[in-house]
Amino acid sequence: MTRLNFTQTMLRALQSGTVVTLLACAQPGSPPAAGPARAMASPPSAAALAVAECQKHRHYGRRQEARACYTQLSSRRDPYLMAEGLWGLGFYQDANSAFRQAVALHPKSAELRTRWGRLFLERYNGAEAEKLFREALELQPDYAPALVGLALAASEHFDAKAREFAEQALKLDPNNIEAQEVLARLALEDINFDKARQEAEKALQMNRDSLNAMAVLGVLEILEDKPQTWLRRMDQVNPVYAPGYHFVGHQLQLNRRYSEAIEYLKEALKRDPDYWAAHSELGITYMRLGLEEQARRHLELAHNNGWRDAATTNSLRLIDSYKNFVTVPGERCEVRLDKKEAALLKLYVVPELEKAIATYEKKYKVKLAEKVKLELYPNHEDFAVRTLGLPGLGALGVTFGTVVAMDSPSGRPPGSFHWASTLWHELSHVFVLTATKHRVPRWFTEGLAVYEETAVAPDWGDRLDPTVLGAVRDKKLLPVSSLDRGFIRPTYPSQVIVSYFQAGRICDYIAQKWGFQKLLDMMHQFAQNVSTPRVIETQLQMKPEAFDQAFLGWLEQQLATPLARFGDWTKRLRQLAQAAREKRHDDVIQQGLEIRDWFPDYVEAGNVYEFLADAFIAKGDRKSALAELERYAKVGGRNPESLKRLAALYEEHSQPKNAMATLEKLNYIYPVADPEMHRKYGELSLEHGSVNVAIREFQAVLASKPVDLAQAHYNLARAYRKANRMEEALDQVLLALEAAPGYRPAQKLLLELNSKQKAN
Amino acid sequence: MRLWLLFAVLTRATAGTYFVTVAGLGGEPEYEQRFASLAKEIDGLLKQSAGALRIDTLSGPSATKARITETLQSVSRAASRQDSLVLMLIGHGTFDGVEYKFNLPGPDLSASELAGLLDAFPGPQLVVNMTSASGGSLAALKKPGRAVIMATKSGTERNATVFARYWAEALRDPSTDTDKNEIITALEAYRYAVAKTVAFYERAKRLATEHAQLEDTGSGEAVREPSPENGQGALAARFGLLRIGKAQLAANTPEKRKLLERKEQLEQQIAQLKYQKAAMASEQYRKQLSGLLVELAQVQAEIDK
Repeated sequence: MTRLNFTQTMLRALQSGTVVTLLACAQPGSPPAAGPARAMASPPSAAALAVAECQKHRHYGRRQEARACYTQLSSRRDPYLMAEGLWGLGFYQDANSAFRQAVALHPKSAELRTRWGRLFLERYNGAEAEKLFREALELQPDYAPALVGLALAASEHFDAKAREFAEQALKLDPNNIEAQEVLARLALEDINFDKARQEAEKALQMNRDSLNAMAVLGVLEILEDKPQTWLRRMDQVNPVYAPGYHFVGHQLQLNRRYSEAIEYLKEALKRDPDYWAAHSELGITYMRLGLEEQARRHLELAHNNGWRDAATTNSLRLIDSYKNFVTVPGERCEVRLDKKEAALLKLYVVPELEKAIATYEKKYKVKLAEKVKLELYPNHEDFAVRTLGLPGLGALGVTFGTVVAMDSPSGRPPGSFHWASTLWHELSHVFVLTATKHRVPRWFTEGLAVYEETAVAPDWGDRLDPTVLGAVRDKKLLPVSSLDRGFIRPTYPSQVIVSYFQAGRICDYIAQKWGFQKLLDMMHQFAQNVSTPRVIETQLQMKPEAFDQAFLGWLEQQLATPLARFGDWTKRLRQLAQAAREKRHDDVIQQGLEIRDWFPDYVEAGNVYEFLADAFIAKGDRKSALAELERYAKVGGRNPESLKRLAALYEEHSQPKNAMATLEKLNYIYPVADPEMHRKYGELSLEHGSVNVAIREFQAVLASKPVDLAQAHYNLARAYRKANRMEEALDQVLLALEAAPGYRPAQKLLLELNSKQKAN
Repeated sequence: MRLWLLFAVLTRATAGTYFVTVAGLGGEPEYEQRFASLAKEIDGLLKQSAGALRIDTLSGPSATKARITETLQSVSRAASRQDSLVLMLIGHGTFDGVEYKFNLPGPDLSASELAGLLDAFPGPQLVVNMTSASGGSLAALKKPGRAVIMATKSGTERNATVFARYWAEALRDPSTDTDKNEIITALEAYRYAVAKTVAFYERAKRLATEHAQLEDTGSGEAVREPSPENGQGALAARFGLLRIGKAQLAANTPEKRKLLERKEQLEQQIAQLKYQKAAMASEQYRKQLSGLLVELAQVQAEIDK
């Protein structure tokens, strides 16, 4: 549900938000199991047994007994037992101190470091936990529980290594149930349902009362729309197992089924009202659906009771910052904008969103039952917190049902972000999710959203970049049946970006070969919870493997020139850049023209078009410079300065319509902090184009807080006069003269308007 | 206050302004060239305007402490109490926590040495210190009758500034003249340069390392946004830096004198009305303002005939 512009590591954030440590560490974990070889100087096995006893009570929901057991441990003189007891009672700081003492007493105990690490993991300090697990493995390389710890820590940030660690742990200790449970959960998150089922069943073979395995199977039943049996069984084993329901809620969030997630999180809280992690996740889920009052209540409860992970704290801070935002209502939408830029952005964002809603309603034949809520964040980190509770997200936009959050145009460097393209992309998700009741594979909804970007205008969307081209060349594209994994658990850094590209091109290919209606038919079949291979077979009448082959053939044909020339192009572009630096304009022109069409999609910094335009201008050939910049803009070049230069060249060559079209493009890229651009566009529109556009542009000048306020009001007055909106014209001219009473053009307009008013 | 300002602008016609612009030591060729070219650009704009009594521009090897001293002394000797001085400093500055210094080839010029030189000038003064750390110069330069504009809010903002670039741009961009009286004042140029500097950092997605300030009461309480409310900006508004358009050709023919007097009255009434705005009902304000502006426009049309 997201729009990305670069590879990110916090991939999970793309689908959902909070990354929580679930299950295995939701309570003081499993007994400090011994590996095949026990660590030297470790706590006596009697201690391990004492801890296991407490954990057993907890496992079966015997709260009072568990509490009594942990209380007893906490009063023991052995700092390790004391640590476990304090941890079990929820005295985390004291438990931490006791662990420190225990480790000082037994510095060579891998077991103690691992248990200490698990405490850190539970208290959302993955970095410290990972450090302790690694120290444990240094002490004892074959210590399986430390590997389980690493698997859990890695799974928090969706690191593909999580599986490796869990598998290693199982190899060392085939009875390590936690490792087995982790594998079940990882398969579930990878949307590999058969594997998840198998792994969970293996866990149940190890321990027929494995609550976590039951929770995984319970999630599978929900996702596959089957009657629930496993959660009932989980309740039978432990009627108060809140972490299991928290896990279900979390998994449903990952599958974008937010309303259902809320119900299961509430179930978790019914079983344990003091389960603060679930309060936090419930708060964040409410926030995603735009229900801020409920969100605040649960987040505050969690925070005030000591659950102060980054996601909870950041989300509360963000809710507090909403006082700096305003909500602009539209007919079928509500747009939340930062007060500082609302006056400007509402001129563009609200009409564009209304237009997109109307277009998609017609195209997808879907009526939205509620208003779309769009939020634009000028501070990218606020957007990241809005999305996953944590800063550092690489996405540009995220959709939660009918709520869309995205970067504001001002949140990114000028030219690096096409806000309208992102808006249409995210809105496509709103319609696809609504139409499928959130039952759609990731690759399909992303592919369709990418397809929609260029369907609006060919220069929108992302261009083919060298990273993606390299992946195509190196045959790194995934089969369509497993394309989802490229989004969820990438195996190389740029795989998310490559997967977006591939999904988009698959939709292009289907639309081209079978027509757009075929994509809609697929969407409706996905809504029936049908798998990708089955949908491909039914709708396209071919096996997924055959589809992959046909698609790749088509794609390679499309990219034949860039693929064949890529190596040469890279070298020659470097030479071209050198020639440009040395101002060898003739060389730039000769070389640039030669290589420009080898990789026409390349419009990023240091592209051939801009080098050529500079060289032509230096040589006084402005017509050729115009032609190059025209190509640049047509392909999707977004450098605001170059687009402004193109607009000026159009004007110079008496092509005002083209100049206006170019400035319109710029409004979709970076409409902020540029009153001069809006003034220019307003003037052109007033003279050659639509008076309504002129009014909008002069309003944009005013909203940009120009230095010359009088001129801005005067220009708007002129536009109103041309639109025959005399009262508004008079208001504006008075404002112009209030700022500058001696402003002669405004004085003349005032006299004119005044005499017209008298005449009427 | 506004009435007094209008009077001050009008009476300025009988006095003149001395301009001294100095581009200090760049340290690196890139800065050297940038500072010198800004000074040259300002020099050109001032000369085009043809409203100055004298324009001195020092840059490169000639921008030494000795030459600055000599120039300011010579200007002070020539000036009368009605004349004004505008000193513009471009380059790098340093501040050691106590003393600000303007970096020059050879010995630097400290803020207190500069203040001593300026004290000899008999009339109102404007110092536009556009160097890094320029905020550190205020303690020495503050004085009633002297407006001080600084590119940085304190001596600790030490990065090279971009304010000078936008100050020069303010002088060549007619839109700086926000009250449309065809005179670019120091206050207008300051506001323009501040807005452009802010936009520069916003667009570059960089944390702003300079925050320009203005102080023109002698209190030493510099502000970012001068206004009648904080009492800063009155003197800066009196400093006409450049005349643009036909302002200087204002009709002084006897037959139009009456119209000019009426125009002046109307401008004063409008200024008064604007100060009463907050205390008036909006409809009443609009009606009165509209009436005065229409009459002013009619009078101006008569003058322009």
